[in-house]
Amino acid sequence: MNPTIKGFLRKEFSQTLRDPRMRVFLFVAPIAQLLIFGYAISTEVRNIRLGVYFSPGDTLAQRIEQRCLASGWFVPAMGPGEDPYRRIQSGRAEAVLIAPPGGLTRAMQRNEGRLQLLVDTTNMIRARGIERYMQMVIQQVISEASPGQEQKPVLNLNLRVLYNPGMQTSFFMVPGVMVMLVCILTILMTSMSLAREKEIGTFETLVAAPIRDWEILLGKTLPFLILGMILVLIILGVAMLIFGLPMTGGFWKFILSSFVFVCTTVSIGTLISTLACNQQQAMMGSFLFMFPGILLSGMMFPIENMPPMLIGIAYLNPLKYFLTLLRNIMLKGGNDQVFWNNLGILALIAVIAIAASFKRFRQTLN
Amino acid sequence: MRKQAWAVEVKELTIRFGDFTAVDNISFAVKPGEIFGFLGANGAGKTTTIRTLCGLLVPTSGSARVAGLDFKSGVQALKSKVGYMSQRFTLYNDLTISENMAFAASLRKLKPGVLQSRTRELFKFVEFDYPVKTLVKNLPGGIKQQLSLAASLLHNPEIVFLDEPTAGVSPVIRNKFWALIRKLARAGKTMFVTTHYLQEAEECNRIALMREGRIIALDTPQRLKTQAFPEPLIEINPEVGGSRQWVEKLKLDPRIGCIQPYGRRYHVLIQNQAGWKKVARTMPKSLKTRPIQPSLEDVFIRLVEGGRT
Repeated sequence: MNPTIKGFLRKEFSQTLRDPRMRVFLFVAPIAQLLIFGYAISTEVRNIRLGVYFSPGDTLAQRIEQRCLASGWFVPAMGPGEDPYRRIQSGRAEAVLIAPPGGLTRAMQRNEGRLQLLVDTTNMIRARGIERYMQMVIQQVISEASPGQEQKPVLNLNLRVLYNPGMQTSFFMVPGVMVMLVCILTILMTSMSLAREKEIGTFETLVAAPIRDWEILLGKTLPFLILGMILVLIILGVAMLIFGLPMTGGFWKFILSSFVFVCTTVSIGTLISTLACNQQQAMMGSFLFMFPGILLSGMMFPIENMPPMLIGIAYLNPLKYFLTLLRNIMLKGGNDQVFWNNLGILALIAVIAIAASFKRFRQTLN
Repeated sequence: MRKQAWAVEVKELTIRFGDFTAVDNISFAVKPGEIFGFLGANGAGKTTTIRTLCGLLVPTSGSARVAGLDFKSGVQALKSKVGYMSQRFTLYNDLTISENMAFAASLRKLKPGVLQSRTRELFKFVEFDYPVKTLVKNLPGGIKQQLSLAASLLHNPEIVFLDEPTAGVSPVIRNKFWALIRKLARAGKTMFVTTHYLQEAEECNRIALMREGRIIALDTPQRLKTQAFPEPLIEINPEVGGSRQWVEKLKLDPRIGCIQPYGRRYHVLIQNQAGWKKVARTMPKSLKTRPIQPSLEDVFIRLVEGGRT
C-alpha cells in the first residue's frame, strides 16, 4: 500500500479515536439518537384528553364517552367540567364533545342528531387523528344502538398489511434515521477534519510535501470512508437487535448501497471544506446541505406531497435514493429493479460528487 | 562563481494575486551553506517568496532555481529537495511526538528504518530528549519549534526554509534555536530564514531587506551598516527631565542632520562634523553623548523609512 495513504490512515484514526468528545460524537450519540427516534417518535395519536358534555340520562352520549375511553386513544380531560372553550384553552382538554340538550337519542328521533366536537388544532397531526378516531367510535356506537338502520356495504375490503405487518412506526422511522445519521456523521467528520488542517496551518505541511493531489485527497477521505462504513454496521446492529428490523433483501445489497452513499457524502464533505476557511464555516456549510437533504429525503414527509419545484430538488437528493434503497432492502425483500435503478442514480450522483470535489480540491491546492 | 554553485537563484521574480503585486521583480542568489536572512515588515513579501521557492506558488513571471531545479523540472522534485517550516504551526497537537514524526515521514515516503535512524540522529542533533509518547500539545512552545524543525529536516533536505521560526518564543529559546541554525549551516545546509527581529538578522551571513515586495538592500550585516552610514553616529542620553527641551531644539538645527528617538535616547546622524562640535560645546553636562556603531535597526529605519519619504 502507498506509504503516504497508510500514514494518513494511521494519523486520522489516532486523531479521531483519541479525542473523547469525538468518540462520544461517533459512537454514543448515533445510538442514542436511533433509540430516541425509534422509540419516542410515533405517528400514532394517543392520550387524547377528552371532555364530554351531555344532559343527565343521555345514555347514548354516555356510551360514546365510555367507548372512547375504552379504545385506549383517549383519557378523561383534567379538571372540573367548566366552560368547554376554557377547558381547551387551558390545555386540560384537547377535544370536547357536546351532546344536544335533552339527549342524543331524542335529537336523532327528531332528525336533528347534531353533536358538536371542539378540537385543539395547534397540533395538526393530533387534530386529524382525533377527528378520525371520533368518527369511527361514533359510527360504531350508533350502528349498535339502532341495528335495523345498518346498511351492509356492497364491497368488502380485504386489507392485508404488507412489509410491516405489525404496523410498527419504528419500521418506518429507523431506516430514515439510519440515512440521517450516516449522512450527518460522515459529512461533518470529513469537512471538519479538512477545515481543521486549514485552520491550524498544518494544511501547508501537506501541500509542501512532494505528494500528488490525489494522494492528499485520498489520504484525507479514505479514513472517513472506513469510519463511515464501521458506523453503518453499528447503526445496522442497533436497528436489527433492538428494533427487530428485518434484512429481507440480502446483506450484500445493503453494504453496496451504503458504500456508494458514504462515498457520496464524504465527497460532499470534501466539497464543503474547500469552500470553508475554518471549522465553524465547515460546520455551517454542512448543516446548510444536511437540513434540506434530510427534509427532502422522504424520511418523515412524503416527497409525493411536495410542490413540483421541491420534488425536482428531491430527485437530486442522494438521501432520497439511499432511503428508498434501505426501505426496499430491509423491509421489501430488495426487489432487483428498485435496487438497481436507485443504486444506479445514487452511483451517478456519487461519481459527480467525487469529480466535483477532486476538481475543487485541486483548485484550492494551487 | 559558476552558475550551479548557487543554492537558490532568483531572477526578476514577480508574484501577483489579482491586482495586488506581492513580490515585485526581485533578483538574488544564495550560496550553499549560507545563512540567508529575509528581513522586512509583515506583508513585505517574505512569506510569498519562500512559498514560491518551496513550490507552493507559481510565479507570475521571472525564474527561480532551487537546489539546481527550476519549476520546469516539476515541483515534486523541488519539494523533495527542500525543507519548509511554515510560519504557522506545522505539527499536530493531538498526536504524539513519534506519531508526528511518522506522519512527516509518510508524507516523504521514507522507509520505517530510515525514519528510526533519522529521528534518533536528529533528536540528538537538536538536543531533543522528551519521551516520544508525549502528546505534542503538552510540550512547551519552544520545544514544539525544535520538533517542527526536526520534522522538516527528516528527509535530509539541502536547503531549509524557515519562515519566522522564532515568532512568539522566549529570548532564551530563540538563542538556542539560532545556535541550531548555525550548527545546521556548518553541517552544510543552506538556511533561508525570514524574521522581523533585527537582532536575529545580525546572525545571518547575508540579509536581504524587503519592503513592499522589493528588495531594497542585500549584503552582509556589517557592510549594510557601513554603506548605509558613512557618517558618524552619536547617541544622546538625556538624563535630566529638562534636557528634553534641549533635544527638541537640536531637532530643528540644520547644521547637525538627522535625529531619531530610540527609547529614552536619541541617535543623531552627524552630517556636519564641525557644526556638531560647536553645538556639543554648548550642551549641558546632563546631556551625555557618545559615538556609537549603527545597529541594523538604524539601517532598517534609514533604508525603509527613508525610502518612503
